[in-house]
Amino acid sequence: MKKKVGIIACSGEKLLGGTLSRAAARIVVKKLKPHDTIVLCQPLFAAGGLERHGGQQERNFAKEHPTITIEGCEELCSKIAVERYSGPVAATIRVDEIMKAHPEFKPKSREDLGKDGLKLAEIIAEEIAKKVDELDKQR
Amino acid sequence: MSKKKGYVIPCSGIGKVFGSIGRETAYIVVNELAKDKADLECLPLIVKGKKEVIEALKENKIISIDGCPLKCSYNNIMDKVGRVDAQFMTTDIVKENRDLKPEPYIIPIGENTKELSKKLAEKVAEKINELLENKVEVE
Repeated sequence: MKKKVGIIACSGEKLLGGTLSRAAARIVVKKLKPHDTIVLCQPLFAAGGLERHGGQQERNFAKEHPTITIEGCEELCSKIAVERYSGPVAATIRVDEIMKAHPEFKPKSREDLGKDGLKLAEIIAEEIAKKVDELDKQR
Repeated sequence: MSKKKGYVIPCSGIGKVFGSIGRETAYIVVNELAKDKADLECLPLIVKGKKEVIEALKENKIISIDGCPLKCSYNNIMDKVGRVDAQFMTTDIVKENRDLKPEPYIIPIGENTKELSKKLAEKVAEKINELLENKVEVE
């Protein structure tokens, strides 16, 4: 049976990139690759008292399945969390780089992406979906 | 007047609407209800242990908002900072307002979800005022 790919968005609440990463992750798991992907929660990787709070489940999944992290900024919080607790990631998508590549789309704000922001989230989601396909071919 | 701020840290949940209520609540607090007294920080950055962020939190009041019993925000802040001054659960505001059933979709969020977020934001803003005026004991 084909292994699902874990999608881990940075989800940073303070940044536009975090909002875009979250929206893109949702588009991938709900629309583009619903049978091939699952969302993992970044903060759960490091939740204090893992046995009590459920983070071990996320860590184990990422140890046994390929993961794609979506990063809203240069801090690479998701990649660092996965590599610290589970192992190497299969791919990393940088939202800030995709934003630079598409200056024609100007998201409204971190609170409300607006029409342009949603379009950009779809472009990011398509990049993630391409990575999922690539990983599938490698397996 | 106190120069301290109240840092509002919502969980990064992206799977269900309860995480969205937390984020929307935080945005209403920092943008409208307590914009001179409150600030926001990325939970993933706290999880990563970014020094400047941890230091800023230690010097100010901290309010966690969580969307599920795993309490990623509360637990991660406790783990990295060692203190949370007030904690809120978005599920509580849903229970208190049975007539406002949150819509299941999260991009964009629905009208009931917005309304619930406003109600929770009022409580959070009130708590920030209390904390900054030292009217409440630290947890």
